Formats: sequence, C-alpha cells, structure tokens
Amino acid sequence: MSLREIYAQYHEQVQFLVIYIREAHPVDGWWFGKGLPKVMLKASRSKVAFDVYDPKTIEERRSVAARCEDALEYRINTYIDEIDDAVNNAYAAHPTRLYLVGMDGRVAYAGGLGPFGFKPAEFKSAIEEYLRVLEGKAA
Amino acid sequence: MTTQIQHRNKAKAWQEKFNATAPKVGELAPDFELKDVDGQNPIRLSSFQNTKPVALIFGSYT
Repeated sequence: MSLREIYAQYHEQVQFLVIYIREAHPVDGWWFGKGLPKVMLKASRSKVAFDVYDPKTIEERRSVAARCEDALEYRINTYIDEIDDAVNNAYAAHPTRLYLVGMDGRVAYAGGLGPFGFKPAEFKSAIEEYLRVLEGKAA
Repeated sequence: MTTQIQHRNKAKAWQEKFNATAPKVGELAPDFELKDVDGQNPIRLSSFQNTKPVALIFGSYT
C-alpha cells in the first residue's frame, strides 16, 4: 500500500498535505550514500536522493523540496517547514511520520517515527475507520 | 565513521527529546501555516477544522 494509492482513494474526503522537513540523510549529515545503508534505503525508497546537502536557507529548502515533489510524483501539494523546524519539532516528524487530524482539530492517528514506524497500511486503516465513524454520525 | 556515529547519535537524541511532546491521539494538533515550494499559497491547518480531516505526510528527499 503506497501513499499514492491512499491519496487516490481518499483525496476527495480527506485533505492531504505533504510537509517537507529537514533532510534525513544529507551528504553533510547522517549520510546513507554508500555501502549497505545505500542498498537498504534504495530498496525501501526507490526515488530517494543521495546527493542532497542539508538546506541552510528557506530558499535552498524550497528548491530541494521542489525536486522532491517532482521526483516522488505524489501529486499532493508540498508545503515547506520553515528553517527553524518549528512544525517538525512540534510533531516530532523527523525523519518521516504520518498523522491524521480530525475535523475537530484533534489527532485521530499518530504514526510512529520513521522509518520503522512509518506504516502506510496502518494509516489507511485509520482513515477508513475515521470516515466510517463520520458517516455513521451523519446517518 | 566517527562523524556518522555522531550524526546518528544527534538524530536519536532529537527524536527522544521531541517524541516525548509529540501530539498523541485525542490531543489538539499543533496549528501551523506553511507555504508551498514557490513560497506562495500559505495554508493553515486549522482552516480545515469542521470541513475535512487532514492527512499529514512528513518527509524529505533523503
């Protein structure tokens, strides 16, 4: 189950937002660009980049995010966390994370920290359950 | 290799610190306003309240 498939199925009922945050494995950080880490990362995320440095300005961050948006082809609008990482910090989102926020503004699903807690199938089930309950209330 | 271990340890420390205060199910989601890749079209999470549930997908390119 991919995020692209989840988006295709639920985008009319759910607002999807991709939030681009600080790079997980930039060249100048905890880089996975060689050896076994590269093989493993490439196997789990075929479109991952290995040549990206950690953006230092919001302009650099927007530029890398645009590359990411084009490469991943989620067709979901990408929004960029500011350089102070405020949203990333508030959601403890680094390196990847999934949330569902209900219509009441409360968290309906909080995924685990990526990569091991990043579970699209579990996310899809949470969306299904939320919409089922919502439809039940409306009936 | 030592540098890589330092980066890993730094990432783990960050996760432990912020994961403790990350919003849990049933808690209010922290509001935010962010712009798109062109620095345009600001979007505010709370603008969807009472309208649509919101799926937040956090990630990066690496």
